[in-house]
Amino acid sequence: MNKESFIECERKRFVKLIKFRLPNRFLKIGIAIVGLSLIGMVVRGFFHVSDTEWLKLLFQKTLLVGMLIMSISKDKIEDEMTIQLRAQSYMYAFVLGVVYALVMPYVEFGVSNVVNNGGEAYKDLGDFQVLLFMLMIQLMFYHNLKRYR
Amino acid sequence: MHNKIKIERAILNITQDELAQKIGVSRQTINSIEANRYVPSTVLALKLSKLFKKPVNDFFELSEDD
Repeated sequence: MNKESFIECERKRFVKLIKFRLPNRFLKIGIAIVGLSLIGMVVRGFFHVSDTEWLKLLFQKTLLVGMLIMSISKDKIEDEMTIQLRAQSYMYAFVLGVVYALVMPYVEFGVSNVVNNGGEAYKDLGDFQVLLFMLMIQLMFYHNLKRYR
Repeated sequence: MHNKIKIERAILNITQDELAQKIGVSRQTINSIEANRYVPSTVLALKLSKLFKKPVNDFFELSEDD
């Protein structure tokens, strides 16, 4: 294999990778996983059973997986405009996610100290909070961009 | 970018939905192109050209701010 064909092969593989989307039927599977995770979280919250911290973490993970599946599932009719709107929604999610991760700890710290004298100590956001926010922003922006296109 | 897709579609007497199916996009995409909210790719423009049997320049033209 010469250098040009090797580069071409690599390029094709890379393009195939970045164009990867799950089929449309996965959207419903994602919604179902998100729904079940939310129900699980609510049920766990109502029935305060001891030693269920692992369950909370599990539901958090399944919620993120469900939202990720929703995020990378194709539309019924996937065309160049929906691809562009999806790319825009990822950009907004990324930018707002970074801003959120930078600003939110200070907001939480400030509010906590204003409401309670000598409130919580400063702490960074967890990965779940940031990822959930980014996925929510992506799905919301994509939905709205499609709605107002 | 201005376009005359709506006029060309009227000449062919087809709906947005039918045009969308013929070139493999959604009806909303055709609606956005007709309303000048979305500029299609060269591939889509050439598909329209083939369907309308006219050069792309006949139904797409640059506006002053392009």
